[in-house]
Order: sequence, then structure tokens, then C-alpha cells
Amino acid sequence: MGLKRLFLKMAIGLGIGLMTSAAFAANLRVLAWDGYADADWVKDFTASTGIGVDVVFIGSDDEIWAKIKGSEGQDFDVFAVNTAQLQRYIKADLVSPIDITKLPNQKDVLPRFRDLSQVSGDTKDGKVYGIPFCFDSIGLIYDTDKVKPAPTSMSVLWDPAYKGKILAYDNGEHNFSFTALTLGYKDPFNLDAEQMAAVKAKLVELKRNVLSFYTTADEAQQIYQNNDVALIWANYGQQQVKALQKIGAHVAYVNPSEGALAWLDNWVISKGVRDNAAAEKWIDFMLSKKIGGELSERTGFGNTVVESSSAGGNDKLVWLNNVEDPLKRSDMWNEVKATP
Amino acid sequence: MSGAGSTDSAERLLSRLVTMLAFALPVIFVLVPLAIFLVYSFFSVDQGTIVHVPTLGNYARFFTDPIFLPVFWNTIVLCVSVAVICILLAYPAAYFLTTLKGRWRYALLMLLLVPLLMSYVIKIYAIRSILGLNGFLNKALVALGILDQPSTLFVFNMNAILLTLSLLLIPFAILPIFLSLERIPQTLLRASDDLGASGLQTFLRITLPLSMPGVASAASFVFVLAIGDFLTPQMVGGISGFTFGRILYSQFGTAYNWPFGAALSVALAIVVIAAILVGERFGRSRGTSV
Repeated sequence: MGLKRLFLKMAIGLGIGLMTSAAFAANLRVLAWDGYADADWVKDFTASTGIGVDVVFIGSDDEIWAKIKGSEGQDFDVFAVNTAQLQRYIKADLVSPIDITKLPNQKDVLPRFRDLSQVSGDTKDGKVYGIPFCFDSIGLIYDTDKVKPAPTSMSVLWDPAYKGKILAYDNGEHNFSFTALTLGYKDPFNLDAEQMAAVKAKLVELKRNVLSFYTTADEAQQIYQNNDVALIWANYGQQQVKALQKIGAHVAYVNPSEGALAWLDNWVISKGVRDNAAAEKWIDFMLSKKIGGELSERTGFGNTVVESSSAGGNDKLVWLNNVEDPLKRSDMWNEVKATP
Repeated sequence: MSGAGSTDSAERLLSRLVTMLAFALPVIFVLVPLAIFLVYSFFSVDQGTIVHVPTLGNYARFFTDPIFLPVFWNTIVLCVSVAVICILLAYPAAYFLTTLKGRWRYALLMLLLVPLLMSYVIKIYAIRSILGLNGFLNKALVALGILDQPSTLFVFNMNAILLTLSLLLIPFAILPIFLSLERIPQTLLRASDDLGASGLQTFLRITLPLSMPGVASAASFVFVLAIGDFLTPQMVGGISGFTFGRILYSQFGTAYNWPFGAALSVALAIVVIAAILVGERFGRSRGTSV
């Protein structure tokens, strides 16, 4: 099954690779997630700069890696990748440093994205490699009728008052990270053995307080509709809140005070970029207020230019990073689930 | 003459090709993947990449780590229970079908098999909303006065998996039992009746023994399908319904530990093959002794 999917992916990748290499040589080649390069934006960009654009959409982090690594960065000029992944590309020498003086719009982004040396994962050795573009936090959804007062910390998930009314997410990596934050650990992505053991014990307690662990946003919504659910650990952030509000649920969203895990996607310039100036123009265009606003409106994600409901200015966000040992976390998560 | 000879040899060539294809397909699509799986189970993983050096570490871990064997055993017990429930429910249904005449018999059989046409995931979703706290089952039980308030007994635990799997797999039990019942010659039943046996005696001494092959294959069908399932436990099992299929799934999805996942699959495959062999053997020996 796994092998079969791999082959299928390889075949599709090959097909797309052939198609893109056959495209016009002069166009800017963009690799992005769905929603990051909508057709009308591309049209506006071409109209204002005269640069044609070919966009290829991807569906997973692994796919980006396969495409960029597979061509040593030669097949694309600009692509989107999250902060946790970016360091891997820098290490493999697949991306070029970016001169932010060429991006006038970067000066007007939201305060938390202005000093890129403060955005973990975007710089290396003083050079900027990623320009933040889109993010979302993994906060807490609570039923405003059932949870009073409004929660401020993830510690509410351990509150016996909500036993059997909590939906958590079925993923060891994230669960270890957020529990580490709740326990007050500084670096939730690098836990030592003692901290791991403490987090595991805490997760066993969590497990006894939750109704179930979900995997997809749809699934959480369906469980919410058929059961008495008060709190949801919102892996899908704003999208999940909006979907629940649409079906009439009285829910609100909060980023916990100890810090909310959050993913952050960046625009980066590949090593094989053909026209650096065109790539810079694309990134600067993407940082305009108009695109930022529309991005949040269309996808529900936060943008880096105008305020959105993903996070208030004072919310503490902890950008997701690679964890010390994903295998270990996954094994320990299985142990948590197998504990009676 | 020579023309006839060439068509002859062409035909022979064609038939040889077809034969080769007939052997090649199962080899390529069944045996080779299984062999690859077996080989993978002797590898290991380091820092997210598979190390192609043979080791018995995966199997040692399966037998020594305190979490795998208990979950494995619980899952087997669960699936045997599912098989038993399915047989207990399917046998009367199949028996009832054989008492019907002509068109009705097959129309009803088709009706019982209709759920198989539905998507499996949709069925799990539907069952889960029936079992939920605000679901149909709880509402009905409260309305009937059997329960004071909705119970969490039916959802997100082992009971939920048991109920859901049984519901999903009953059609697979009905069909083989029905076929074995239908194959019993009516003359035997009439002879038993002529010799003065009561209805119950005829059932216990003729119908039941002769239908055992069907029961055996039904049981092994249901068991095998239940034990290979990870989606149902994942979706209705909640926090206490942790099964072997879920552990297996996590090795491929989140853990990215294919070699260990392969070793766990081999353990599962051994149980599955044993179940099929038992079902087969039981079925055949009873069938031929008559």
C-alpha cells in the first residue's frame, strides 16, 4: 500500500515535472500550496510587472522536498515552505539568501514579522532565507455555553469538570509539544528524557479526561454534533472554528497564554532561480495589503500583513519546529494510548 | 499444410502466454509484495531513513515491549467476539431465508447485502452518529424509559468497536451460511422426518452439522476482516479502544517506521493465515464426511 502510493506519487511528480519543463522558458516558476497563488492574483501580477507566471500546486511537505531536491532547485524560482522545513533546505543548499531591501512591503508587515531574526527558522548566519506569508495557530476552541469563564490556558483540558467533553488530536508530535508548553518547558521541540517522561505522564492524564482523539476537521465536527463536547484542541485552527460556527455552534477561539503552537509558511527563492529580480517582485507583490486581506478572507488563515482572527497582536505564538526525535514521540504516544 | 502448422504453433504460443500471465499476475501482485514486506521487517530505521541491514530487532521489540502483546491479544479477543456475534445473528437470518420460497428468498438476500454497496466510511460515520450521546440509540433508550439519561456506554470505547464491526460485517457471515444451508438436500430432511425425528432433532442432527462448513468460513471471513481493520477502531474506539490495527497504522503514517510496521504486519498476517486455514480445514472435513 505504502509502496504503491509512493510509485503513484513518483509517476505524478514525473508527469508534472515534464509538463513544467516544457513550459515557457521566460516565465517565473512558482511552487505553492493551493490558495497561495490564486489565478486573479497571478493575472494582476503579470499585468503590473509584465512577468508571466507558471504555478504548480503541491499537497504535502514531502512533495515540495521531492520536487526541489529532485531538480536541485533548478525547476522552480520561488516556492512556499514552512519554518520547520526551511532549515533542511538551507542545509542542503537548495535556497538563496534574500535581500530584504528589495522588498519594500516587508517594512509594513505586522510587528511580529518585522524583525526576521526573531522569527525562528527564517534566518541562518545572519542571512534571511524565508519571508513569512501565511500562518495559523493551533489554539483552543471552546463552547461558550458550556465553558465559563472563558479559558486562557490549555491546562483547562485537564480540568475534571470537563471530563468526557474534550476532543483532542491524534498526533504524538504536537501533543508532546503543547503539553510541554503547558508544563512551562522552554523549548517544547527539544525535550530531554526526564521532560519526556513528565509529558507522557501528563498525557496519560489527558487521555483519561478526553472523549476521543480526532484526525480530520470534519470528524471533529461530526463528533461535536452528536456528543456533548465543550473543548476542542484545534489542530485546524480558524478553518475549524469557521466550519463549526457555520453549523450554528456557539464556539469561540483562544490562543493559550503559555503560547500556542503555530505553523508559518514562507516564500523562499530557490538556488536555481533564473531571474532573481522577478522572484523578489513576486514576493513583494504577495506582501501587499490587498493580497494579505484576500488570503485571510478566502482561506481563513492568518496573513503577515493585516490583522486577522488567527492571532491578536499580543498572543504568544510558538512557531513549529522539527522535534528532537519524531519516532520516539510517536512510540511514546502509542504507549500513552495503550495505557489502560 | 504449412499454414495450418503455423496457426497451430501460434495457438500454442498464445496459450503458453496466457498460462504464463495467469501465473505471473499473482506472483507479481501478491507474492512479490508480500516478500518485500517480509524483507522490510528485518530492516531498521535511523533518523527517518531505512537502514538496509538485516536485524531481528523489530521482532524482539514486538515480544519484549510491554505494550504490543497485550494490545495484540486484546484485539484477537475482540475480533473473535465480533465473529461470534456475527454468527449468532447471521445464522437465524440465513436459516429464515432458506425457509422462504422462490423469488422472495433472493429478493431478501439481496436486501441484506445492500449495505455492502455503500461506502465503508459513510457507514462508520452513520453508525457513530447513531451511537453518540445525542444519537438515535441513546434518544430511543431514554424515550422508552430504559435509561434515565444518555449513556456513554456505546461510543468511543471497546463496546463501540464491537458493535460497529459486527454491524459492518454481518453480511459477510450471512452469505456463506446461507449457501451451505441451501446446499443441504431436502431429501435428507424429509427422510429424517419420515423416520420420526422432531423438527428440533432434525435441525440439531442434520441441518446444523451440515451447515458447519458455512459457519466456519463465515467465522474466518469476519475474523480476518475485523482484525485487519484500523479505520473502525480509529473512528469509534476513542481513548480506551486501542487496537493492533491502530498501532500498525501509526507506524506507517506518523512514525514513519516502515520496518517495524512490516514486522507487526507479519505477526498479524500469521494470525490471519492461521484463521483462514482453520476455517478452511474445519469447513472441508465436515463437508466431505457426508
